[in-house]
Amino acid sequence: MKLLITGAGGFLGRYVVDAALQGGHEVHAMVRPASHSIPDSWQGHSKITIVRADLRSAHGIAELLEGIDGVIHLAASKSGDLYEQFGGTVITTENLLNAMPEAGIDRLVVISSFSVYEYQQRWAWSKHDETSPLAIDPLMRDEYCQTKLIQEQLVLERAKAHDWQCVVLRPGVIYGRDNLWTARLGMQINKRWWMRTGTFASLPLSYVENCAEAVVRAAEYNGNPRQLILNVVDGKTPSQRAYLKVLQNKMTPRPHIIPIPWTVMRLLARLAWLTNRIFFNGTAKVPGLFVPSRLHARCKPLRYTNKKIVSTLGWKPRYSWQEGINRSLQNADKIK
Amino acid sequence: MTSNQDTTNKRRLPLCKISSALIGGGVISAQHLNTLRGIRGVEIVGVCDLSPALAQFTADRFAVPSWFTNYHEMLECSDVDVVHVLTPPATHDRIVRDCLDSGKHVIVEKPIALSHAAFCELWDYAATRNLQLIENHNYRFNEPIQQIERAITTGQIGTVEEVEVRINVNIRGGGRYSDRNLPHPSHQLPAGIIHEFITHFSYMLLNFMPPASIDNINTIRAAWRNHGGGNLFKYDDLDATILAGSTHGRLRFSCHQWPDCFSVQIRGSDGVATAELFHPTCQVTKHRPVGQHLTPLVNSLAGARTMTQSGFGSIWRKIRNHGAYEGLSRFLELTYDSLCTNKEPPVTYQQMNETSRLVDALLALENRI
Repeated sequence: MKLLITGAGGFLGRYVVDAALQGGHEVHAMVRPASHSIPDSWQGHSKITIVRADLRSAHGIAELLEGIDGVIHLAASKSGDLYEQFGGTVITTENLLNAMPEAGIDRLVVISSFSVYEYQQRWAWSKHDETSPLAIDPLMRDEYCQTKLIQEQLVLERAKAHDWQCVVLRPGVIYGRDNLWTARLGMQINKRWWMRTGTFASLPLSYVENCAEAVVRAAEYNGNPRQLILNVVDGKTPSQRAYLKVLQNKMTPRPHIIPIPWTVMRLLARLAWLTNRIFFNGTAKVPGLFVPSRLHARCKPLRYTNKKIVSTLGWKPRYSWQEGINRSLQNADKIK
Repeated sequence: MTSNQDTTNKRRLPLCKISSALIGGGVISAQHLNTLRGIRGVEIVGVCDLSPALAQFTADRFAVPSWFTNYHEMLECSDVDVVHVLTPPATHDRIVRDCLDSGKHVIVEKPIALSHAAFCELWDYAATRNLQLIENHNYRFNEPIQQIERAITTGQIGTVEEVEVRINVNIRGGGRYSDRNLPHPSHQLPAGIIHEFITHFSYMLLNFMPPASIDNINTIRAAWRNHGGGNLFKYDDLDATILAGSTHGRLRFSCHQWPDCFSVQIRGSDGVATAELFHPTCQVTKHRPVGQHLTPLVNSLAGARTMTQSGFGSIWRKIRNHGAYEGLSRFLELTYDSLCTNKEPPVTYQQMNETSRLVDALLALENRI
């Protein structure tokens, strides 16, 4: 297939391009106009066409889609204020979806996130899968959750209306080279001092090379139902403590970890929330770790499963989480 | 507009009911909507943006009953009295005219027009339809600026001799203005990205410089520079001197200085008043009734108190989620009040006209150095 991969120059995008090539596909790798982060291996590659475009502008998207069999849409914004993230995640998706019918494309994979789920109104240690409820009050969550929810809604509505073959993937935490830290662990105060918020909660990790393979499998999906939502989590997920210990031992200098139990964090967040309600009518701006809905989204202990994606796509994570960390630290992957 | 008997308002409120609609769902729309929701008597009936997702999101977030992607449709469908035009400046002219054609009063984000001539045409267009056209000069209504005005009117600093307005914003260091992938539309404006700010410091300067008209200004010299280089920014630095009789004015814009600030300093014959809007403070150095030798000490102590309050105030404001847009709230309250009572709006024709003329003069080739 000839696949257009948006956000190809990003952290996950580079690995998806590599996985698509290994899967025998031809790749149109879309990077931003001013992007300098193009791997050397792409230059002169016979199966890669580099496309420079910014999807926040609708201009010229239809032309870029000519001759494409399927789109893997990874482009999104994870930083900036609400409106920057809205532009980078929602407007980009809206423009892409508007151009697809004209280009006759009926195959789409979109990368969403675990952040779209509800966490606060759920029991600790409950099972987390594709049937878990979505965020009940997105405005209380962060900008990323809000924009990802809208993006998903747009995609699923349009896919249903046009009967596209569409897979929405919701990865947990994608980690890899230069991306070994996650907010689900706590906070890096500085290089020497880390704060761990919780102990035994499982991390819904997906090593970036595993995740990239899942994305390409999703692009190849031809089954029924034609619209699917799948969570992406590697098989065995480590606890916060186990993951951080491995990470700590591999760092030089070795950082110190300040553990704060989950119950204490919950209590502190609850107190901050009450103070905010009583004295500021809920309008005060407090750090995310002290907003209960955000704290729960980051650190609540849940049980994760990848049964659905394994059974539907036949995907099997190639690397364990320990191997993932080792490969990340040793730069063992092929992406340069 | 319909009469409203409700007089139990907590804030300074209009005396009638007005329905409003917004065109443009970007960052500034959230500020307008937040403020409008706090003004009783104002009903927000619609929002419009080219992006359906953004229009719907904005409507949902602020409980606005309807959203549109075509403003013509919104103007036809909704019973609107006032339209807020919050789109990029280059689109103002067409949209404002269409709103005026529909018989709506218009509040426009700065700059209202890209030249003084364009402003005059728009103003005439509104005047012939007997409608209000008001440009947002929100920072004039921030508390520190009001404090300076009080210091001047009560004679605390004597006759104004010098006005300096300075904006430092590190917009080259990241964010929407330095995005090379999809350059911000303001880069295409006559003053480039500085056009986003030039209205603010122009009306601020004119607010404090004694001559009511720039006809009384003898000299304007403006150095427009691009110190950071590259082809994205047309200019990233402005240093302008304005002389009106014995009064000196200076406008300074920089992307290369730290910390970020929006400061206004007025030097008078009997003292100095300084306001900072990003970390709201107002400090007045003046004659104290303690004698010549103790006056510097009292001024220093007063300054230290102001700085301490500013430091804690900044943290407090951060917690309370208050930005530098406090003046917008007062500006809109007064504007709506004027629309209800047929009083002169808080931003007058003369103020908009002179601001627009000053911007033209700053950009004029013959005034450049």
